[in-house]
Amino acid sequence: MLCFVLVSFILVSATDSEPATSFVHKKKYVMGTVFEIVAYEESLARASDAIDKAFQEIVRLDEVMSNYNSASALSRLNRSAHFHAEVVPLDLYRVIEESLVYSRLSDGKFDISVGPLVNLWKAAMREEHVPSSAEEEKLRRCVGYQNIALFPPDRIEFRSACLQIDLGAIGKGYAVDRAVEILRSYGIERALINAGGSTIYAMGSPPGQPAWLVHLRDPSKRIDPQVRLCDDSVSTSEQTPSLQGSNSAGHIVDPETATPSRTEFVVSAIAKTATASDALSTTLLLIGPDKGKVLVKTIADAAAIWVSPGGQSETASSGPQILLGHGL
Amino acid sequence: MCIRKTILVLLCVLLSTSAWSRVLLRWTYSQVPPAKTLGVNDLVFPWDSGATSLLESARKQGYYVYLEATPEQAFAAAEAGKNSAAGVLLKVSPSEQADVDTVLRNLRSLYPKLTFLILNPAGKQPQMRGTLVLSRNGILEVSSPTAQPWLDINLALTRIAKARRPDQDPLYSFQWELIDSLQKLQGPNVEDYLLAVAEAGAFHADLVLSLHENSQKALAQSDPDGINLWKQMQRYLEFYSRRIPPVEPAANIGVLAGDYKKSYEPINLLARHNLPFRILRPSDLTADRLKEFAMLIVFASAMQNVKSITDFAARGGTAILVDSPGSYAWQSARRVQTGERWVAYGVGRGRVIELSEPVADPETFAQDIRRLMDKQKVLISLWNALTTVAVPYREAHGGVTLLELVNYAEEPLRVQVRIKGAFHSIRYETPERGCCESLMPIARNGFTEFVIPDFRIGGRVHLKEGRFGERHAPTNAK
Repeated sequence: MLCFVLVSFILVSATDSEPATSFVHKKKYVMGTVFEIVAYEESLARASDAIDKAFQEIVRLDEVMSNYNSASALSRLNRSAHFHAEVVPLDLYRVIEESLVYSRLSDGKFDISVGPLVNLWKAAMREEHVPSSAEEEKLRRCVGYQNIALFPPDRIEFRSACLQIDLGAIGKGYAVDRAVEILRSYGIERALINAGGSTIYAMGSPPGQPAWLVHLRDPSKRIDPQVRLCDDSVSTSEQTPSLQGSNSAGHIVDPETATPSRTEFVVSAIAKTATASDALSTTLLLIGPDKGKVLVKTIADAAAIWVSPGGQSETASSGPQILLGHGL
Repeated sequence: MCIRKTILVLLCVLLSTSAWSRVLLRWTYSQVPPAKTLGVNDLVFPWDSGATSLLESARKQGYYVYLEATPEQAFAAAEAGKNSAAGVLLKVSPSEQADVDTVLRNLRSLYPKLTFLILNPAGKQPQMRGTLVLSRNGILEVSSPTAQPWLDINLALTRIAKARRPDQDPLYSFQWELIDSLQKLQGPNVEDYLLAVAEAGAFHADLVLSLHENSQKALAQSDPDGINLWKQMQRYLEFYSRRIPPVEPAANIGVLAGDYKKSYEPINLLARHNLPFRILRPSDLTADRLKEFAMLIVFASAMQNVKSITDFAARGGTAILVDSPGSYAWQSARRVQTGERWVAYGVGRGRVIELSEPVADPETFAQDIRRLMDKQKVLISLWNALTTVAVPYREAHGGVTLLELVNYAEEPLRVQVRIKGAFHSIRYETPERGCCESLMPIARNGFTEFVIPDFRIGGRVHLKEGRFGERHAPTNAK
């Protein structure tokens, strides 16, 4: 699933008392979105090199996890793992393994096997095809994370004839985490990696600041939620909007009902890794604030905020603080 | 060496006779290189008292020099440049353009040998924007609330300019947004320059392009790095200034623009979403003129155009009125749909949709316009192309013959295109590879589909209508 992102944030540079360290800022179109990396570093050449290498890693992971590229490892898995354990690249194994953690945490609301339903509703969104209830039901039977069997260290089997995996709700987060590793290997300590606004990871803090100040998406424009990130991540999810107010289409699909989630909430989730925040934001969007607040408190160093277009907000945290800017 | 010189001379000749898209270089360094080094004939000097000192020497180096001035400065600039300059560019923002006509008339009358052109300085640096930008007070902040890559493009700006001033090709400029320390030191990447040239070329507009001071210095001093950058530029400059058969924008959405501030961003997003449109003037709202459109979007007051709008809808069109409250005859017809901020009325074979407010979310507005369009009437669709803008052109009153494409990601993409009509010949050319590579057309339900395998920054597709299987002699697009 594409996490529809409307995150906004501010990265505060050095104060007047401490001269700003030079920074390099680059962007690259990959995974269907604009990845950006900004790195503060004395050596501009080293920062530039590190960012280039981080982008190369993201491109490599896209070639592993893409379901648009028929030659990707994921596409191969989707073609041939039905009732047969396939060897997959370690990255693919890891990201699927972590996805299943969130599937269990959410009782199946977060489910990477929802791919066929997502495709069905994406087509509906483009008004190419209105799904019949028979089609919904047929595809709903294909969905079920319980039918994904992992055989460590690197084999995966689908125990359903029509199961298909889509990593849209977690893949970008995983790629961000790998990019962080690359930057660290180059000695970069202060950087921000932004996957199209939907997932952001903050390494260290900007010079002269204790943390990166991130303004979160606020559809009501009344609350201005903010979070200070330092070696942690935030992701945002929301359903596709439409001027026509149509509830009949969207890119985030509830596997239980086989239909697009009808929530109006925008959810931002904070976690220690980008993989976790990416998966958590979709999960929390689907389960809603009542169950979501309970879930957040069971995860270490996590927080979340639900904001409605009308300005209603709900928050939960097991550590990080979400500030409401307009109340400050 | 001789061959190189010959090529450069030929290049200069080609450029001097070209008409399709002209790039004028804004020059601020104290020396200018010979025109033959640049392969560009037109320089722009920002007007100040020092501009005249370089004017004569630039003219002797083979340049046509334009002085860039505000309307207030224009008379002084024209007086100073009347013997050496080619003309004066009047910097006028879109909202001030209505006030400048008198100034322009006076200038033309006083200085008949000079060319006076309106320059819109409010263009944007063409780019695929991320969500990080550097604000003036040194704070990095976000810009783009969108699910898709946000593209800063200048198509709406050039189209509105052309509609307002049909006697002049749109001429615009933009400021570079140099965010990071490397860019501030070295200037824009060569790809950014190429994108700027490709964009203006694809939109058939003229551009005043600023070169980074370091690049100007390098060129003026024949520094190898500067020359190397410029060699890449020359390919693009040549490609987009080449004369091609006359064409006009092809579109099936008509837009009555109205107030610039209210309508600019929604129109910009139509462009961004590859919804081909034409800007109409109120006098264009005739039955004959509207025949070519499937949709009419009215940002201006609808009151003066009720009959045209009703007739358009009655013939099967979809008319969309944005924030134009009032009592209209169609409101007595059946309501076919109602939303929170909009109502649709069935009128004859078509419909009128009234939006009760100005467009608050242009992104969603553009997406909805695409959804509202009858699928059989969608002129062009792209896949795997969120960073690509495609602009179709047609011969006068004919079908589409040309498609200009710009890729703001500046990296090769495999773009799938579907265009309305039956085309048996599809030929693709780029500044890098020249003309032309044949692409395989696939006919599907009244549309032709093809794939551009390796689309980097700028490209041009030549289309020939005809049934599949028909054989035509190869032609040269140049």
